[in-house]
Amino acid sequence: MKSNKKITRWCIYLFVLGIILLGISLLSLCVGSAAIPVRKIISLLSKASDSAEYSILFNIRLPRIILGFAVGGALSISGVILQGMFRNPLVEPYTLGISGGAALGVVLSIIAGLSRRLGGISLPVSGFLGAILVIILVFYLSIRKRVLRIQGLLLYGVMISFVSSSLIMLLMAISGADELRGIVFWIMGSLEQPNWLLIKTAVWVSISGLIIAYFFSLQLNALSLGEEDARALGINVENTKKVLFLLTSVLTGMSVSICGIIGFVGLIVPHFIRLLVGNDQRILLGASFLCGSSFLILSDTLARTIIAPTELPVGVITGIIGGSVFIFALTKFK
Amino acid sequence: MPLDKIKTAVIWILLSFLFFSPSVNSSPEEGLPRRIVSLGSTLTEELYLLGAGDNLIADTLYCQRPPQAKLKEKVGTIIAADLEKIVSLKPDLVLATSLTNPAVKEKLKNLGIRVVDFPLARNFQELCGHFVELGKVVGKEDAAKKIINSSREKIEALKKKIQGLPKPKVFMQMGANPLFAVTKDYFLNDFIEFAGGINIAAQAKSGLYSREEVIRQNPDIIIITAMGLLAEKEREQWFTFSGLNAVKNSRIYVMDTYKLCGPTPVSFVEALEELIEIFHPRS
Repeated sequence: MKSNKKITRWCIYLFVLGIILLGISLLSLCVGSAAIPVRKIISLLSKASDSAEYSILFNIRLPRIILGFAVGGALSISGVILQGMFRNPLVEPYTLGISGGAALGVVLSIIAGLSRRLGGISLPVSGFLGAILVIILVFYLSIRKRVLRIQGLLLYGVMISFVSSSLIMLLMAISGADELRGIVFWIMGSLEQPNWLLIKTAVWVSISGLIIAYFFSLQLNALSLGEEDARALGINVENTKKVLFLLTSVLTGMSVSICGIIGFVGLIVPHFIRLLVGNDQRILLGASFLCGSSFLILSDTLARTIIAPTELPVGVITGIIGGSVFIFALTKFK
Repeated sequence: MPLDKIKTAVIWILLSFLFFSPSVNSSPEEGLPRRIVSLGSTLTEELYLLGAGDNLIADTLYCQRPPQAKLKEKVGTIIAADLEKIVSLKPDLVLATSLTNPAVKEKLKNLGIRVVDFPLARNFQELCGHFVELGKVVGKEDAAKKIINSSREKIEALKKKIQGLPKPKVFMQMGANPLFAVTKDYFLNDFIEFAGGINIAAQAKSGLYSREEVIRQNPDIIIITAMGLLAEKEREQWFTFSGLNAVKNSRIYVMDTYKLCGPTPVSFVEALEELIEIFHPRS
């Protein structure tokens, strides 16, 4: 009886968050520097045309919304999983050096001139390769006697992100003006992505990530009690840790290599949702995904409209809004 | 009935990310561009020089010269251009620079809009090349060549005037903290050489330069540019190094960023005249 009630409550949460996501997506579709009246949008939705308005809606605004959905969700569930696994509220997807590795990969490919020769796809690919390299490095450094040591993961990850950010600065210092600009654009982070294939990839990776994470939600619940207790509950702790670490790494590596570094989403959203729905990973994962998507889409909408026609880096908005809303929520709920 | 419409719309949105691929617009019409968007302040200025200012429909917030350029529709700054705004203006040509966000350029091309990229010139020769290129694109090639020839002639005359004069050692900086010097990779180096100076940082690999090295090489002249309000402060700081020749003779100058850093073939000559005045005051 009690669990039935819980499931009803969870469904309500998910439903409400889903409605919010839909609302924010529609809002994002409707606002922008090119003022298109809502009535026109509705008529454009039902039939295709080759007008400029149609292009703006479906080739400029829609891809950003879809990418925001995928990346916001991916970063948020990575945050949920990592915070649960490490039992540390400060851990976020960028803590483990994955973003640093991706950034280093991108910077190297810009400096080597790969982007000029191979076109736009080379940056995400080299970013992802950089992320994979760091994942493997951190993973093997942290394994002792077949045990993946959580503390080791954290320390090696943090150190590798310091090393890679210093290396990036080194490369920036010795690179020429043209390369420097490419690097700065990438580091600022943006949902502007001309390649549809990458956007589709992001959607599939993040949704599959959510599904896989959901299969491990009970193990995660146990893990958040501590490794000893989880083991006592009969959980295969080692396997769970490894799968979850790889899963979050792939999700984060994908997000960073496609959009650059967009901070705060993976840190704040999980905390916010935890305040709202409690600590059960089964609801936490889905709710965080939806909330993260809404948050990133909303931030991006603000970033491109607040001082239009100039576009702000989306990280500026996620930082300011996310940080202050979170502080507010924290004081309210205490 | 309307419910059906909404239903199809919703399904369409849901499926769009699966099947959607960017629509390829009809190729740009033959003939000269009539609706130009410029994403660089130098490009805007050059369009007016070429007499194509009337076909310019929009530019950036940084485009201040000539005064008419200020009145055009604005599509953001040079580095953060608003894609939506550009598309809504239905341009047939977008002029981009290497400061334009690569993602924006690619997206515009995907949408079937013609984008012509003008990388920053690394020397006067390239500056002229780009200018002729721009002339070709907007159908004013002859005007472009004429302007360049007249600039070249003026520069030759100036060079002749300073021939044989002693060459001062010059340090030109574009940034402080960290100190950033003009090396041979920047076209500003051409200013120094054309004006009969020796750039002490010409051979450096990157613009990052140590202050000690500047003091060791002891330049006769220091020129500070591209630093806005910080330039005066930087000038004061140089004056604390009393051993420098440039300090002893009080030859540290702050120069107008606009003129030096975004030159057209015409304003290049003007800035060059100014520099020659500084390098060879008695000539």
